[in-house]
Amino acid sequence: MRIQDLAQLSTRMFKTNPLRTWLTILGMGVGTGAVVVLVGLGFGLQQIILEQIVFGETLLSLGVSSTGSQGLRLTPETVLDFEKNEAVLDAAPLARFPALVTYKGLTGNVFVQGVEPPYLRYAGVTAVAGDVFLEEDLGDTNSIMISPATLKLFGIPDEEMDNFIGEKVSIRLLVPADDGTENVNEIVIDKEYRVRGISKEEGVLNIMMMLPELRNYVGIEEYERIQVRVDSNENLPLVETKLIEEGYRVTALSKTVEQASKIFQGIQAVLATFGGIALIVSAIGMFNTMTVTLLERTKEIGIMRTIGASPNDVKYLFVSESVVVGFLGGVSGILMGVTLGVTVNLFLNIVAGQFGGQAVKLFAFPFNFLAFITIFSAAVGYLTGIFPARRASTLNPLDAIRYE
Amino acid sequence: MAKPLIVARDLSIIYNKGKSNEFKALQGVNTDIFEGEYIILFGPSGCGKSTLMYSIQGSLPPGEGTLLIKGDDVYSYPPSERVYFQRHVMGIIFQSFNLIGSLSVLDNVALPMIFCDADRTTRERRAQSLLDRFGVGHVSHKIPAMLSGGQQQRVSVARSMVNDPKILLADEPTGNLDSISTQQVMDKIDEINTFDRRTIIMVSHNAAHLSYAHRVYYLRDGRIVREVVNPQRKQIKPVREGETIVTELEQLARLFPYDSVETLRVKSLVNYLTQDYSFDQIIKLERATSLFIQGKIDRASYIKSLILPTERGGVQIDEKEARRMANISEKMIKNADDIRRFRARKDNNDIFFSQHILAERMQEHLLQTYRIKLDKKQASNMTEVIADRVTGVIEEEELNQRLMKSVRSHGLGLSEKEADDLTRYFEKIIAQGVDVNYKN
Repeated sequence: MRIQDLAQLSTRMFKTNPLRTWLTILGMGVGTGAVVVLVGLGFGLQQIILEQIVFGETLLSLGVSSTGSQGLRLTPETVLDFEKNEAVLDAAPLARFPALVTYKGLTGNVFVQGVEPPYLRYAGVTAVAGDVFLEEDLGDTNSIMISPATLKLFGIPDEEMDNFIGEKVSIRLLVPADDGTENVNEIVIDKEYRVRGISKEEGVLNIMMMLPELRNYVGIEEYERIQVRVDSNENLPLVETKLIEEGYRVTALSKTVEQASKIFQGIQAVLATFGGIALIVSAIGMFNTMTVTLLERTKEIGIMRTIGASPNDVKYLFVSESVVVGFLGGVSGILMGVTLGVTVNLFLNIVAGQFGGQAVKLFAFPFNFLAFITIFSAAVGYLTGIFPARRASTLNPLDAIRYE
Repeated sequence: MAKPLIVARDLSIIYNKGKSNEFKALQGVNTDIFEGEYIILFGPSGCGKSTLMYSIQGSLPPGEGTLLIKGDDVYSYPPSERVYFQRHVMGIIFQSFNLIGSLSVLDNVALPMIFCDADRTTRERRAQSLLDRFGVGHVSHKIPAMLSGGQQQRVSVARSMVNDPKILLADEPTGNLDSISTQQVMDKIDEINTFDRRTIIMVSHNAAHLSYAHRVYYLRDGRIVREVVNPQRKQIKPVREGETIVTELEQLARLFPYDSVETLRVKSLVNYLTQDYSFDQIIKLERATSLFIQGKIDRASYIKSLILPTERGGVQIDEKEARRMANISEKMIKNADDIRRFRARKDNNDIFFSQHILAERMQEHLLQTYRIKLDKKQASNMTEVIADRVTGVIEEEELNQRLMKSVRSHGLGLSEKEADDLTRYFEKIIAQGVDVNYKN
């Protein structure tokens, strides 16, 4: 039998029994729709998290700090030392000093961090408002980034975060004296810095400025932290191990991400299980329908067999019928699921917009996932069809034709 | 000698073998069917005729024995290859048409070609031409349910022919049809046999169809009990001289299809004892008389056709006898008309008119045959008796009794022989004249 004839013969049920056919498809659709929605939710959650923390280079860098115990210090030499490693592309340091910041007469204790732009990339620092420092800003002497907590210090609510960009603050650095005493020298920077951006770091009182600018006021002999950018994923653990062996403390964002991913895979699996149950229920319903269809068509099978249909022709007819139902069930499920997800997303966005929150996509539907669901539902159709089809093909034509 | 197309040797089919409801559908059947033959498998329900046909069709594997079609043991192939026979060697027609309700008539006919991978244009052209040939081309785009039974069966004949099979199997194709559709379908099947030269194997229990076949197999209880050759058709199966000869039994078998050979032999002998005419003459006499009763021929042509020799379609009896027969027939038909008129009057409560005429004619008959002259009292009683019988007040038996009763007790006082004869004669007239059709 030719494919187009098979297609024509196996889609007759839309004409002969439209209600039942569409209900079967709807049943399959609701099942796959449940899977699509739930797994889509999993994807959405995962994406929300990863979008916050993951940037390409961030995953490939290690944060190195001294443990303090073995007298290891992070100095400019250490940076050079790190860069000698062939697997290391770059090492970006961070220097930190306590400081006092003043805005419109209000003064508070913060830390001033001097960094180079690559550090921000390696550490995954982003801005929730305003701009982050870029490569060309290395020579910048006028602007700083502050953390949201610093903003709170000035009594600025989150909603007015955007308005704070461009405001001026002044800074007094508190540098420990070199004489070995507990004394602290206060270095007054005699100018005002423009706030260019607000970083995403929660819970810390930080002000970030360019390292060269910081050096203008204070000599830096020891760094707080160095971000080491490793060339590839494979070398990441090697470099990590080496640094740990040398006595440094190493944190890798990739690990965090990995763990987060694992958790979300778990969540997804749980969600998929619930969806899967719905899918199994509808598959059983479809199997039932196919079996009833077989009984109903017994006579027709007999007729076809006696006028020259081979057992395989009969089998293909039944299988393709259920594949069509399964496939359309999948497509309708995707339509239902995606529509629901997109609607919820839209609704959340509207709500978020109303209340000034950040818009998020709670549901995400990657193309590959939808393609998989389509193929999978067709496969479910195939599986529910194959047993009735096999039985149909082995029916004795004479018994079948006399069946009423 | 030509090889037979279908050969069955000791073919046995047993349903539910070994179980308590074991049923021997076919037992030791031997048959040779030749290309171009028209075979009818005839017999009562459950005799195994359909079983034999479906076994040839390839759906019922024989339990024992061999079945060869074109020299091939069909059942030695797996079902997927056996399909070849169903596609290219055999076409099938069913009693219940078995068209697929969800497909158009055209697609139904084209369906066997779909299974043979024919492309759309080819198969639709072929299907349409067959539908046109069988007179249902104008309904090709309707669904089967919109067609009459006769049309559906002709569609199914078209379907069976679409792959140009060598053998056409028909399972009581007219069982669900009215007489006109039956005639149409039988004619089409006959045309396929005589014009297209296809082998036909038909299962039937309608004796009227037997004259179409070259040979008829009579089945009973799973065995072929008789093979009857139709002498009217030129035989295809080579007959070895003296092996089988055509006898009167073959002819009788067609007249009395439900009787066994033994009964037919009895009939043959009794016919010789009681009749001066052969069965052939009787059949021709019946034909001529039928035309005469219907008024399609006049007295002269009736006599002529009775005298004509059998080779020329006549009854071949001498002229004197022919005239006598014509006289009796004519008189009977006339009397029958009286009865008819009488009964028509009866409905109008005016029964006295033809009663006397009828009675007079009866008296005339008595006079002519037995030279009995009735007196006035007898004649009046006769008129009464006849009226009673024709109006249905008395039955045949009572009529006979009344004729023998004394005149005083309202009888005629005839002798037993006279009464019997008059009764018989009068009953014949009534049979001719009484309308037996069902009326509301």
